[in-house]
Amino acid sequence: MWKPVRLFNFKKKFDFLAQRRAALIISTLINVVSIVGVFTLGLNFGIDFKGGIAIQAKAKDGTAELDQLRTIVGNLGVGEVSLQEFGDPSTVLIRVQRQEGDNQCVAGAQRVMQKAAGQGWQVKPGAAGTGDVDFTSPTALDAAAWRDAVSRAGLTLQERQLPRGSTNTARIDMSVEQRAEWCQQVAIKLVEDAIGSNYELRGTESVGPKIGDELMRSGIWAVIATMVAIAIYVWVRFEWQFAVGALIAMLHDVISTIGIFVLFQLDFSLTALAAVLTIAGYSINDTVVIFDRVRENMRRYKKMPLIDLLNHSVNETLSRTLMTSATVFVAVAALVLFGGPVLQSFSVAMLWGVIVGAYSSVWVACAGLVYLGLRADQLRPADDKADKGGDTEKAEA
Amino acid sequence: MLNLPRWQTIVIAAITLLSALFALPNLLPGSVLQHLPQWYATSRINLGLDLRGGAHFLLEADLRSVLTERLTNLSDAVRAELRKQQVPFRDVTVEAGKNLVVTLRDEANRSKALEAIRTVDPALALSGSGDTIRVAYSEQELAKRKKEVIDQSIEILRRRVDETGTLEPTITRQGDERILLQVPGIKDTSDLKRKINQTAKLTFHLVNEDVAATGQNIPQTVPPTTFLVPTREGMQELRRTNPKAWEDIQAANPRLSPEQICRRYQPQCLPVLKRVVVGGEDLDDSKATFEQQQGGRPIISFTFNSAGGRAFCAATRANIGKRLAIQLDGEIISAPVVQSAICGGSGIITGSFTTQQTQEQSLLLRSGALPATLTIIQESTVGADLGADAIQAGTVAALVGTALVAIFMFVAYGPVFGGFANLAMLVNLLMVFAGMSILGASLTLPGIAGLVLTAGLAVDANVLIYERVREEKALGRSPFSALATGYEKAMSAIIDANLTTLIAGVLLFGFGSGPIRGFATTLTLGIITSMFSSTIFTRMLLAVWVRWRRPAELVI
Repeated sequence: MWKPVRLFNFKKKFDFLAQRRAALIISTLINVVSIVGVFTLGLNFGIDFKGGIAIQAKAKDGTAELDQLRTIVGNLGVGEVSLQEFGDPSTVLIRVQRQEGDNQCVAGAQRVMQKAAGQGWQVKPGAAGTGDVDFTSPTALDAAAWRDAVSRAGLTLQERQLPRGSTNTARIDMSVEQRAEWCQQVAIKLVEDAIGSNYELRGTESVGPKIGDELMRSGIWAVIATMVAIAIYVWVRFEWQFAVGALIAMLHDVISTIGIFVLFQLDFSLTALAAVLTIAGYSINDTVVIFDRVRENMRRYKKMPLIDLLNHSVNETLSRTLMTSATVFVAVAALVLFGGPVLQSFSVAMLWGVIVGAYSSVWVACAGLVYLGLRADQLRPADDKADKGGDTEKAEA
Repeated sequence: MLNLPRWQTIVIAAITLLSALFALPNLLPGSVLQHLPQWYATSRINLGLDLRGGAHFLLEADLRSVLTERLTNLSDAVRAELRKQQVPFRDVTVEAGKNLVVTLRDEANRSKALEAIRTVDPALALSGSGDTIRVAYSEQELAKRKKEVIDQSIEILRRRVDETGTLEPTITRQGDERILLQVPGIKDTSDLKRKINQTAKLTFHLVNEDVAATGQNIPQTVPPTTFLVPTREGMQELRRTNPKAWEDIQAANPRLSPEQICRRYQPQCLPVLKRVVVGGEDLDDSKATFEQQQGGRPIISFTFNSAGGRAFCAATRANIGKRLAIQLDGEIISAPVVQSAICGGSGIITGSFTTQQTQEQSLLLRSGALPATLTIIQESTVGADLGADAIQAGTVAALVGTALVAIFMFVAYGPVFGGFANLAMLVNLLMVFAGMSILGASLTLPGIAGLVLTAGLAVDANVLIYERVREEKALGRSPFSALATGYEKAMSAIIDANLTTLIAGVLLFGFGSGPIRGFATTLTLGIITSMFSSTIFTRMLLAVWVRWRRPAELVI
């Protein structure tokens, strides 16, 4: 049997807070750069938030020809297109901007119909100001045949939208919004038709304008709500300075994580947002452990100057901070290395979160306590009492 | 703290064993599962579509149009009633998606008009002043109607998508006006879209008895008012006698019209008038039942709405003795002779049906058209091999991640304490699996990431405890006392740290959709269960160990 190795056991006590001014400058700089980056370089929003189409295609014969594909898909009239290798050289991720339902999409629908049901088909925009689309078939068709032809083109138009009698022209009633949503499908089908013979489509995703806008809004709310809820929790459990310090630390971590997304132009998708929220929760985890020790020491050493007390607390919890950071770090590193391309941006962000979380609990949250003017005699009576006789159980209630 | 009563030890051990029991079906290979009782073997975690492969559609129902349509019907009824009660009015207009506006010729008739409108539907909300009356449905009525439309759409989608009963689609309501449709294991979405588009188009036509009287199955010419439609029996006969022809008909692109089928393949056909007597959209309900007399043959009964009832009444009154053909999806399912005027708004279809056929057909009649247009607002398709890749990547990442964490703990805290922490991590994973099996939650790729993250986070409680024990040991406490105080003093930090992460997890769950929800599920579950496994469970292990080994010194 082996002996435990004290991995993070330091004889020396570090004067962490001596660097608080330097840290303040660095943190401010990182955050300002991140914010400026968001507004200048911009976040590379995934289709979850922006709306649009993502198609994962694998070349049937080995290597994906990115340039060739870019030309083919770029000429489909579906707007902005971006391509990147995804995981391995044979696989490519094709992203198409969200479709707005303009006349170009209707022209696209005509090409889709012609390919699927015959050259004679025509698709034209209906009355201006509406989303109506006029379909003309070469022969008169009844409702069932209409439905069939449209289905072959991979489009959904249901009985309510299809003509009732036997006819060769049909005006499909759609609102402008409905047409915009419908046009995502047209674009998917266009891309499928264009590259389907040489590429196997492994996965398709499309997000219409409506959902994209909604997710964006609720995503921002989720981040704000999480930070506020955590700050309130800390406020309930500690003095207000702790809550403010924690909130600033969280903001710091969230903003700088977003900065990482800007810097590396990582795909900012729903999973990325999950990473941001998790980092908020994780970084505070670290902060709270140190705060807990700070409070305990405030009770014990009433006369100790705040800076010394904070340094003492950080040093006492240092091995735990590093140990936990290390375990989470190796777990996340496994995700980065083996989790596959889908989880890539999530894992990279989390990796950053582990590092910045440890940094911010010392140099942002604790340093914040100094700037917020916390004094040892400020402990609330309840918090002060709690340690007498070691009845921490009571404090948990 | 370390003196655990026996019952506590038993309870903790029982919880751990139960979790392992619930988690086990997920870990055993299929060959072993075969020999276990089915209820146990099948209580496994569902894989999300991103791992399993399949299609996911978020559909939005166009409820505004449904309301407008309904208001248009209402406006007819209101007009009729006002005329009947001799209230002069200038106009009845529909404000799309909102209400009706009735403009009276004379303000003096207002109360009379209000009364007339109330007789149409007493639940209507009436407002406005002077010569205008606004007629709207009440909030409750609208909410009820919305719910009906969505429920009916879900029912119809289920029938259309899962014709064969093997696809296991999940169709659920999302919010007020959306439906989430998930079908595992399919890759070709155009097939799924075809199914969504599919109609059960029902129409009633009069048989053109003049043409039918010629006795030929397929007359050379028919008048322009008439067309030929194959009968259901005719098509079944064709399928039996000429399967090749039947297959050609199914595969024809573009689809053949009923008339073309009659001319080309000559199944039994009927000449019917093109004019539609009543359409399926006017059908309110349809049931499979049995005839009262004549041996109780299986029959189909149906009920029309008021407009349909009136049209049906007029048509049957004028055509007694003639046949009325019921056309469903381009086939005549029956053509009973009209015995008398049918004016009660309901009727029956008799024929040589089996009970199963009447049930099928009444369902077909009932589930006719989707009540609202559904627009796909989000779609995702994952091929099975892509899912398999994701499982592969997720499994490797999870194994490597947990193994690295375990090695770390072993190195840092030695075989005993590191071992206990790692055992706790294992129990935690089992509990998450068990929890997911019980909750019926789906495991997604981000969910696997959540598991890996939880593995890293869950040992944090042990790290907190062990570091505290080290501190207490350094202060010169005895092993027993150092362990007890270590647990006690670390508790507050553990709870704070876990609760803050839990807040993030819960909010993420509330916000998230699809795969993200999977991440939030494993993370949240993992944090909750880790409070048990890392503290209560390891404390039990240590209590037992201390009593057994009575160590003179803690090797930590």
